[in-house]
Amino acid sequence: MVVGGAIIWALVVGLLLYAGHARREPITARKASWLILGGGVAFPVIVLFCLLAYAVWLMPQIRPFMPALMDNKPQIEATGEQFWWRLRYLDDGGNTAFETANELRLPVGERTTFRLKAADVIHSFWIPSLGGKMDMIPGRDNVLSLEPTKTGVYRAPCAEFCGTSHALMAFSVIVMERPDFDAWRQSRIEAAAMPQPAHPGRDLFFRHGCAACHTIAGTPAIGRIGPDLTRIGERQTIAAGTLANTKDNIARFIREPDAIKPGVEMPAFGMLPDGDIEAIAAWLGGLK
Amino acid sequence: MLIRWRHVVATLVALPLLGFFIGWLGIIPLGASGGHWAVTDWFLHWVMRNSTRTAALRVETPPPLDDPARLPLAAGQFEMGCARCHGSPAQGRSAATLAMLPPPPDLGRVVPTWTDAELFQIVQHGIRYTGMPAWPTTNREDEVWSMVAFLRKVPGMHADTYRELAGLSATPSGTVEPPSMTCDSCHAESRLDAGSLIPSLAGQSVAYLLESLRAYAEDKRPSGVMQTAMSALDKDDFPALAAAYAARPRQRLAPESADPQALDHGRRLAETGDAARRIPACLTCHEKRDGNPSYPRLSGQSPAYLATQLRLFVSGKRGGGPYADLMKTAAENLDEADIQALSAYFASR
Repeated sequence: MVVGGAIIWALVVGLLLYAGHARREPITARKASWLILGGGVAFPVIVLFCLLAYAVWLMPQIRPFMPALMDNKPQIEATGEQFWWRLRYLDDGGNTAFETANELRLPVGERTTFRLKAADVIHSFWIPSLGGKMDMIPGRDNVLSLEPTKTGVYRAPCAEFCGTSHALMAFSVIVMERPDFDAWRQSRIEAAAMPQPAHPGRDLFFRHGCAACHTIAGTPAIGRIGPDLTRIGERQTIAAGTLANTKDNIARFIREPDAIKPGVEMPAFGMLPDGDIEAIAAWLGGLK
Repeated sequence: MLIRWRHVVATLVALPLLGFFIGWLGIIPLGASGGHWAVTDWFLHWVMRNSTRTAALRVETPPPLDDPARLPLAAGQFEMGCARCHGSPAQGRSAATLAMLPPPPDLGRVVPTWTDAELFQIVQHGIRYTGMPAWPTTNREDEVWSMVAFLRKVPGMHADTYRELAGLSATPSGTVEPPSMTCDSCHAESRLDAGSLIPSLAGQSVAYLLESLRAYAEDKRPSGVMQTAMSALDKDDFPALAAAYAARPRQRLAPESADPQALDHGRRLAETGDAARRIPACLTCHEKRDGNPSYPRLSGQSPAYLATQLRLFVSGKRGGGPYADLMKTAAENLDEADIQALSAYFASR
């Protein structure tokens, strides 16, 4: 490449010097027009066409993950909502295997393809340690693929201003070894068929109508408006990366979500008796 | 003499001082006994009519006023709030109120001289310096329009029709004399039907009734009618009152024949909601066996009342007990078709 560039550079400079120093008769108008057509049109067209053809031929080797993207067979569908992330793991047929929220788990050393959507306004999906960002646009499906190469926990903030709590909209990504990931995935799929045992907090969750918006696998709660709370106890954070996942913080969020995340859609339940809130928080925190 | 700047300044300082001085002397007569001079009376009245006409320009187009369900609600309020001064079809104005300055007019005579929008302006905002009060809240235009609808019927209304509308004959003793309003004057089950704007309270949960009574008493649930009705009640009576209505057998108001498509739409919204439009399923909170008793029972309620309340929730004007904000969030994405469908569904349920 360097040698080629040096030759072209020497040629161009040589031509320049020659044109500046040579003293000879002016060429005829006919010759001049042939020179312009040949050197200015035909030569660059041929050269550029060859280069383009070569580049197109090279492309599949440069981006080996393209066929998967072209198939549009994503493994995960991520939807940005004000101000949290709806994450659906898809099966081979493209149907939802299970849904979760605000915490993503990925297998290490494999490329995962995402379908990115937005429910209300434009958000942007960005896991800085794993790759570039891509906007989530209402009414449009964007496709992104990422290949994590190291296990660990990564943080992923929303990268497009989306409202008052934009800065409080993040999710965590846990990159796991393949067997661990498979075990987790399988257990989540089976969670729907495993009834959750009785608990005072569980009764209160239904009594006060939390199930209108939230789903918890293994219970009759099938609300689709807010985040899925299945196994919320195993997540690193609550409220989309805003608070550490402790029972106190869950109770605080139930009591005054708007004070923690301004503009949040969830109404405040501070009017509930403190005991009820704590029982619900204890139950949710124990869902693992 | 040349008028200089200092003359102007001195006058500007002196005039207010003179005004205060005359006011302090106490020589301005404010007694109502003598009445106004004819020219003062004409001028004040002329200004009042002009002011009302101009203010009524901003009043929005009236909703349909011919719904007979508007009348009992407004007649009850009329008896509690208006009849004392304006008299009613059942009772003339007393000598005491006629001695007011200005005297409250005979509505049968003056109502036809105003347009609907002007009547709305007067009932909603009152008239300053006359003793005509404003509606207790500016958040219930629906109630004010019902009063306008009622006022239109007042000229020529028979005394018995009026008593029937205001519920004066529905007192527990069954007698009219002495006429007095009770909760049952409006809320008696026998007076309600599918078109009623007045809710049926029979069989409602104690918690919800109590929280609603407190919300009205503490100005947290705007309603000119209920706030007027509640002002005569003692807070200590609320629990007994709530318990009494809760103990009555739950009533099913025979619903009007509802559009089956609307019923179906209402059932779907009630049972599963519409997640894409962020509408939660009503039945996850309401009508549950072990549900929170502060979430009211809706089945069998009159569809007109349900629709009014849903519209108030959607517009953010409803207010209510400590749980009312939940419903504001739940209802905010309902459109008019949803409201009709849900009202029909719960009425028939």
